[in-house]
Amino acid sequence: MKKIYPGIMHSINICIVLLIMMQSAFGQSRTISGKVTDARTGEAISGATIVVNGTTLGTASAQDGTFSISVPQNARSLTVSSVGFGSEDVTLGTSNNIEVALQFGKQSLDEVVVVGYGTQRRKEVTSAVATVKAEDFNQGGARNALDLIQGKVAGLAITRTGSSNPNSGVAIQLRGVTSLVGSLAPLIVIDGIPGGNLDLLQQDDIESFDVLKDGSAAAIYGTRANGGVILVTTKKGKAGPARFDYSTYFRKEFVTRRPDFLTAAQYREKVVSDPRFAQYGVGVYAHNSDFFNDLVNHDNLSQYHNLALSGGSANTSYRGSLYYNDFQGIALENSRKQYGTRLSLNHRGLNDRLTAQVNVVSNFNRSNLLGGGGWEDQLTRIPTLSNYDTAGNFFFQPTNTNQYARLFQQKNWRDQQTSSLDAKFSLELLKGLRASIFGSMQRNSWIDNFYADLASETSIENPVTPAGGGTAAPGASASKSTQLSIDYAVEPTLEYTTRIGTNHSIAAIGGYSYQYSVTESFNASNSGFFSDVFENNNLGAGNQLAAGRSGIGSNKFDNTLIAFFGRINYSFSDKYMASFIFRREGSSRFGKNHKWGDFPAISIGWNILRENFMSGMDLFNNLKLRAGYGVTGNSGIPNYQSLVTLSTGGQYFYPDGSLAQTYGPSRNPNPDLRWEKKGEFNIGLDFSLLKNRLGGSIDVYQRRTTDLLENYNTQLPAFIQSTIFTNVGTIENKGIELTLNATPVTGKNFTWSMDFTASTQSNKMVRFSNDLYKITFKEYGGIGGFGALGSAIRTVEGGKLGNFYGRRFAGFDPNGKWLFYAADGKPILASQINPTTDRAVIGNGIPKYYASWTNDFSYKNFDLRVFFRGRFGNQILNTMDISYGNKQALPGNVLNSAFGKNAQLNDTYQYSDYYLEPGGFLKLDNVTLGYKIKLNTTYIRNFRVYASGTNLITMTKYTGNDPDFVNDTGLGAGVDSRGPYPSTRQFTIGLNAGF
Amino acid sequence: MKLVNKSIRIFAAAIPLMATQACTKLDENVYSEIITENYYNNKTEVLSAVLRPYTHTNAWITSSGQVGYWRVNELAADQLAWPIKGIHGQDNGNWIRLHYHTWFADDNVVWDPWRLMYTGVGFCNSPIENLEKRDIKSMGITQQEKDAYIADLKLQRAFYYLKLMDLYGNIPVATVVGEVSPPTVPRAEVFKFIEKEIKDNIDKAPNLSPSLVGRLTKAGAYAMLAELYLNAEKWTGTARWDDCIAACDQLIQAKAGSQTASPMALDPNINDTYKNTNHTSREIIFSIAYDFQKSTFRANFNSDFFHFNQRFIYDGSFNGNDGVVVIPGVYTKYSDKDQRKKDWFLIGPQFYLSDPTRPVLGSFEYNNQPLVFVDNVRKNKTGGTESNMSVGEENSGVRFNKYKPGRASDPAYFSNDWAVYRLTMIYFAKAEALMRKNGGVATAEAVRLINDCKKRAFSAADWVTEAYTPAKLTMDELLEERGREFIFEGVRRTDLIRFNKFVTTAWWDHTPSNDKNKELFPVPFRQIAANPNLKQNPGYQ
Repeated sequence: MKKIYPGIMHSINICIVLLIMMQSAFGQSRTISGKVTDARTGEAISGATIVVNGTTLGTASAQDGTFSISVPQNARSLTVSSVGFGSEDVTLGTSNNIEVALQFGKQSLDEVVVVGYGTQRRKEVTSAVATVKAEDFNQGGARNALDLIQGKVAGLAITRTGSSNPNSGVAIQLRGVTSLVGSLAPLIVIDGIPGGNLDLLQQDDIESFDVLKDGSAAAIYGTRANGGVILVTTKKGKAGPARFDYSTYFRKEFVTRRPDFLTAAQYREKVVSDPRFAQYGVGVYAHNSDFFNDLVNHDNLSQYHNLALSGGSANTSYRGSLYYNDFQGIALENSRKQYGTRLSLNHRGLNDRLTAQVNVVSNFNRSNLLGGGGWEDQLTRIPTLSNYDTAGNFFFQPTNTNQYARLFQQKNWRDQQTSSLDAKFSLELLKGLRASIFGSMQRNSWIDNFYADLASETSIENPVTPAGGGTAAPGASASKSTQLSIDYAVEPTLEYTTRIGTNHSIAAIGGYSYQYSVTESFNASNSGFFSDVFENNNLGAGNQLAAGRSGIGSNKFDNTLIAFFGRINYSFSDKYMASFIFRREGSSRFGKNHKWGDFPAISIGWNILRENFMSGMDLFNNLKLRAGYGVTGNSGIPNYQSLVTLSTGGQYFYPDGSLAQTYGPSRNPNPDLRWEKKGEFNIGLDFSLLKNRLGGSIDVYQRRTTDLLENYNTQLPAFIQSTIFTNVGTIENKGIELTLNATPVTGKNFTWSMDFTASTQSNKMVRFSNDLYKITFKEYGGIGGFGALGSAIRTVEGGKLGNFYGRRFAGFDPNGKWLFYAADGKPILASQINPTTDRAVIGNGIPKYYASWTNDFSYKNFDLRVFFRGRFGNQILNTMDISYGNKQALPGNVLNSAFGKNAQLNDTYQYSDYYLEPGGFLKLDNVTLGYKIKLNTTYIRNFRVYASGTNLITMTKYTGNDPDFVNDTGLGAGVDSRGPYPSTRQFTIGLNAGF
Repeated sequence: MKLVNKSIRIFAAAIPLMATQACTKLDENVYSEIITENYYNNKTEVLSAVLRPYTHTNAWITSSGQVGYWRVNELAADQLAWPIKGIHGQDNGNWIRLHYHTWFADDNVVWDPWRLMYTGVGFCNSPIENLEKRDIKSMGITQQEKDAYIADLKLQRAFYYLKLMDLYGNIPVATVVGEVSPPTVPRAEVFKFIEKEIKDNIDKAPNLSPSLVGRLTKAGAYAMLAELYLNAEKWTGTARWDDCIAACDQLIQAKAGSQTASPMALDPNINDTYKNTNHTSREIIFSIAYDFQKSTFRANFNSDFFHFNQRFIYDGSFNGNDGVVVIPGVYTKYSDKDQRKKDWFLIGPQFYLSDPTRPVLGSFEYNNQPLVFVDNVRKNKTGGTESNMSVGEENSGVRFNKYKPGRASDPAYFSNDWAVYRLTMIYFAKAEALMRKNGGVATAEAVRLINDCKKRAFSAADWVTEAYTPAKLTMDELLEERGREFIFEGVRRTDLIRFNKFVTTAWWDHTPSNDKNKELFPVPFRQIAANPNLKQNPGYQ
């Protein structure tokens, strides 16, 4: 208890000091008149709102766009805004007549930015916060809500390592690697629910994403904010007539960039013709198969439907949406069907002093998990084999798996339900003082089902013996497993906003947060079913239960997070702004010596344009400098890591002759286990010029993450386990992010606007060791495949993250044997390599640059979006070529490169820079053409049809799989997969209609 | 300002309300896991901790599929190797470096045995500490039981240190969990520690009995002393032949119990020691014991030894990684009359046990062709004549068949215990001690001891010509016979070192390094880096 007070008292003291500083003055008034127009067309805008900043004075523009308003003499600026347009801050000079041209739909200085436990106006923001609104979302249909903003936020890497698999998520990383083994993903907050589940988001229900990029903003989320924070705001009802909004699309996918393995004909020509492999052209090897193609779902068609009902009165508004999706993958037996609802209610009472907001959300889905894998097996299967034997049954061999047969003989699916319920009540106690309480519950449960029937390959090849002995015979196998996770959060807050005089405004918030998560799971498996009747619905029926070889397991774990937090935002005349944040947070996961941590932040902003010396400067419409420093943490570690848990060691004979379980310590004690801690410095400049035709921001940051967790070698002896999970290392990231938006052409009928984002960053492993624990290097990026080639990437203290470390290719000797450079530069054979001295840094897998470029064209009722995205300056390890571009893999099928570019090679598998290729790419990711049909009826508000193409063209030097789907996050970035989910080109047609 | 002050008061008043005890409690709740603090509450819990090191010993003393003591002690020696066979067996060069003695301090083949064995030391130290600090009432056991459990754990720990000392020589000796930076202790001192631990606890340990199969009893303790003293000259510079003989005599005279109701004796049949009901073997002194019918825990020797399609050969259910083979030339060191040559190896074409006319087929070089194990390692498929670690095929090398799991339908299928010490080893140890005491010349008793063991492998008619005489049983011949008898049992490197042949002789494609330092493995680099009090072994600095 004592420890909690100082932080809070400190915040209160700051608050008091600021209040004392404030002065105020009032004076005479004058009348300002003017006209509001559409910056694009020059047409007048009627009904635009004009507000005198710092007062409650306001008016609206007339039919012809004109307005007139009386303002106090000391008023400095007006804010002009209109629905569908941005808003514009107009600085008042000596003139009493102003013309305001509003930009259609673009970011404005008065747009609301969600910053966690509250909102700010864009012009007040002092940290690096990016906002992506619905109209800027990626087109072509999202499988995961984060697909909508891929490439849209400078510094936020979102990678689809599972390609277009409908059951896959995305890898996310903000501003580089900040953890070695902990979670890298940002904290997702959906309408205030911390740790929000992305399954609960449908693209048409999302209003905006706000990304808290730097620590000075994210510190309000304490120990979970190292990866940044993504705040998702969903759509809410608005006062007005009842509305129906319906969105739908249909999507079809086609395989692109298929790995170039030998066809059956090529296999015959290049392999079977070799006398050593003659047998692979006769007998069971007399077929022409395309096993890869056999797994492809050529008839795929995905569909999406979302119907939203909304409306409300002055005091109550509602929005409810219903959706149904059927997402089919490019693989057979690989789909996700889901339906659900999102309901929100806003209610206001007690003379507008009490507001309530309630959201109820649910998602029901069935994922078919059977297909979607097995690509490597199929690619490497001898193509002269068949899926069937001569009798027409599926053909099996013990050394490989008939992946096609699996699709018919096995079942594997998940039935999942995810729900959330949240409510917030807020009462205005006094003018400017609000007390609120927010509570949420998120519940995620599923049942996983598996069944392999009697005739399946796994049953045939793994015969089981019944209890008491007897002959081993094929038996079907089945399992079910369930999991239930519930996350609770309760967050009472107290907010105070005031304005002292005309110049000083203060917004303060303080609160408490209690979050509790609990997960339980249960699983059971059995085999030896002699009939397919039960499938996995009667697990007791298999004979391996009695034989003692069935499986059953369950577990439960929970964790608690508790925090006290506060924030004060101060603004002087909208010219100087400051924000102070303090959070004190503890987690049950931390060791007993370090349960609580402090996370402070400060940031300041300077609206340069408001300075007198800038008055009369017409070039700029906005110019703001921001700087901030904040401390955040990462508690994304598993449970119980600080405790000495005992785990089973296998059964052994007890003195009574029975066999029973043994238990021994499975972990070393670590009472000092704590959060990873990041301190981040950020400087940013927001600008807008040429009448808002060109705008953007530049951010420069430096972050230093200390106390990084990693498994360190213990002294063994006298510890029990060889590693301990402990806080030691330090990583430093530096980077620059640029966001630009421009409107090169704007005319009555034709407009061209564009957004451009770019980022670059560098990551350095500053320290790996302390006095107690030492690592000179750590390896990441397992290569896998034949030859136990180890890891591709080595991170050394003081070195860059993501460095490939290995042998340097020096050519082939006359026998086709590998030659590598020794340390002294002489070519030597692989067996002569000294692994300590003859290896070197041979590349880097982390992209140096990211960029995206969105072009929006509109011509009359047509709109066209052309979206490019790319990563540059990295290498990718072509693991598929290592394993299958080598004749060593014969008689299994191999890549054409085994006879092409690697034809000379006649040696075992080796990892060297020979297989490192430039991994940069530029992708024409999306082209969408839409047409708004203007209907002569009052019943239909809008009606738009569109066609969209995704993953259209990839320009790259990389010869392996689609470089876009190679993981670029974490420490093992840049290692390709040997059997990735196929890259697909996708075409979508869709409709949005509002009634 | 008044308003503000009021609001601050409300705010400040609200905080303590929220911050009551329950609202700041961050204890970690444990549901499906056990932590040391809440364990050792009854006899079963105590036993589950006392027995934990045994199942761990399985990982490194047996052919378990892990890089443990067994693997390095065999693959660095002259009988077994894991050559590259086609696309398999490259394995980061691990087995090649073991075979050519080119390991380095940062090598996994150096680190993994250390890791496995010292983790086991921790599994002993933790319950010793917990048992010693708890009173018997809280654990629900008697004082006698407590003493016996601690003695059991200390003997297990002595066994761990004995084998660690064999591999690494000069090692840290830790007896308490968490002790910081334990220093390197010279091998002679480690020897003394082990000797004292065994002697201090041998009389607290019970005799071997059918209910103690798989446990370190008085019998196992004498076997440990025999091994310690047999190698004493090599390990400490001081020979201890008489002590070795005395320890052996305790077992030869059956004074320390037996696995069966009958006194300990040599198994009459050479296969009884390895069969799947070998818990009834009369000669096993200490084994890692299994019952695959009652649990899923079994000896995992299929992993290293068995071919990808081996299950057809024995009509069972487990295949292997087609790894370890008999080095070319070893098989032919057995006389054709030797029953061991017939029973302990697989060579030639292989057939289904369930259908002896149906050949077992290969999967790689000999895909869909009959699988024929050959006594060579070369690319026969393409007419290769080169023979070395890199040119194997899936059928290269004569294969292991010493332990036979039985058919899947066998009521004792795969329940073979893995013998760590057996009486034959004690006979050989005593014979060797007698010979070395006698200037390397066999005595009549030594000849009798070896003949008692060897004659089991021959028919009475053949034995007449095969029996050793003092003249025939030279020291070199003793090493050869040890090789024939103890092949696959994880002792060969130790033997070669004791006979000074490990770094000085050639076998197959292995050429001697003539570097004495290779008789010890280096201390793993990562431990040298982690613990400033460790010293690297000579030759590896």
